Amino acid sequence: MTSPPAFVEFRAVDKSFGGKPVLRAMTLAVTRGEAMFIIGASGAGKSVTIKHLIGLLTIDRGEIWFDGARVDGLPESAWPPIRRRIGMVFQNSTLFDSMTLAENVALPLRKHRGLRQAAAVREARERLAQVYLGDLADRFPAELSDGVRKRAAIARTLALDPDVVLFDEPTTGLDPQSARRVDRLIRDLVDQRGVTAIVVSHDLPSITGIADRVAFLYQGTVYAVGTPAELAAAGDPVLDQFLAGRSSGPMETPGF
Amino acid sequence: MAGVVHRKLRAIGATAVGAAAAARDLWLLYLGAIAGLVRGRRGGRPKGAFAAQLFAIGNQSLVFIAVTLGFIGLVMIYQACQQFNRVTGDLSQVGSQFLKLAVSDFAPTLTAMMLATRVGAGIAAEIGSMKVTEQIDALRMSGVLPVDYLITPRLMASIVMTIALSILGGAIMYVAGGLTAYYWFDVNPRIFFDLSAVTPVAVVLGLLKAASYGAAIPIVAGFAGLRARGSSEGVGKATTAAVIGGSFAVILLDFVISATSLVLVGPP
Repeated sequence: MTSPPAFVEFRAVDKSFGGKPVLRAMTLAVTRGEAMFIIGASGAGKSVTIKHLIGLLTIDRGEIWFDGARVDGLPESAWPPIRRRIGMVFQNSTLFDSMTLAENVALPLRKHRGLRQAAAVREARERLAQVYLGDLADRFPAELSDGVRKRAAIARTLALDPDVVLFDEPTTGLDPQSARRVDRLIRDLVDQRGVTAIVVSHDLPSITGIADRVAFLYQGTVYAVGTPAELAAAGDPVLDQFLAGRSSGPMETPGF
Repeated sequence: MAGVVHRKLRAIGATAVGAAAAARDLWLLYLGAIAGLVRGRRGGRPKGAFAAQLFAIGNQSLVFIAVTLGFIGLVMIYQACQQFNRVTGDLSQVGSQFLKLAVSDFAPTLTAMMLATRVGAGIAAEIGSMKVTEQIDALRMSGVLPVDYLITPRLMASIVMTIALSILGGAIMYVAGGLTAYYWFDVNPRIFFDLSAVTPVAVVLGLLKAASYGAAIPIVAGFAGLRARGSSEGVGKATTAAVIGGSFAVILLDFVISATSLVLVGPP
């Protein structure tokens, strides 16, 4: 049986910052409609990896493909159509403090879809209502909890109905209940809307609960990839140490 | 020995290349902000941003500029009158010559130096915070050009308000100097407030300097903010770089514009 064609693919990607290599010949293929988790120690290059896919960072060497087209090395002017199809939920929510939740969600609708302000805000309110934030649409981010801000950021990303959503540590800083709500939302996106989710995470309950496959990033490359059950059963000492959260073992952790 | 020299040369070369790249990026940011003026709100400049920045840069600096330039005028005239008294005792030219200098140089340059600290630090801190919390990336993902959203409104407002505050600051400086001359040195206000020495060249030079400083301050500060890395420490470094870079840009532009004017049209 042949594997399905990759919807998103990183081919032998190298990336360094100030001469320090972060990614080394990193290769990873993600198929359409799956929830792929990227895990690894802090500083392993997980967030760096996904930012390359939307042109927020540029690779040093290698290739990045999305939906059959090569996207690395594109000029800034070529990225907006791709960013309309690939959304990103940032680690810090990144809502704009000077705007209400509705205005935050309306911004990409105005800029990417060319909606007028009134129409964009109207649609933004509907999108916020879908994540149970309809009654908070006129509030400013600073007035709200981390969990609410995270859900609003997800609503902003989903407003454009993207094919791929990148989540950068979506449950970090959330209480367990809010974290599981975000997990459920990610899983529903994949199951009900057919969205491809690429999730950077440290959160083991999220990984075991909703990931279709997991890629373990170690020493700048994908060290292991498979279903959560496959990785747990692999018996690899480095992988086992990371998954068990043990401080001692064969795994080299930068800075420790 | 050869290895040490080689390493030193490499380090110097790397620094020079880095500085050249930073200068190029600064220039590109300036061009991008100008292009943002042409793009208008299509590029993502928010409605009301220009007015908000006029208020933040201008109105909120008003008291700061008025007080500092007032005191500078007071001190300068006090010192000048003391020196003139020692040498010639003739204070009849103090007011007119001070005004000429204030119009062509002191008012715009000192105003801009003050703005480089207050406004430059604010711009760098705000943009730097947005950078390290990924809000700049979020703008790009939302289809907004960060330069149009953040830099262009500040550039427009800063040019307008540096000119306005230079005129106001110069006037306060002159009046403060006039009062000092009258109360401490008995200089008749009719003699002090003599506008005859101010030439059209001096006025144009002063306005040109104010506009140039007004353009430089938000560009340098925005550039520092956009290069912020890491966390709050990176924002702190960006803020420091904005104040130093903005002040340096003002001094450098003062020299370049004054020297060019001197060569092209002679003394103001």
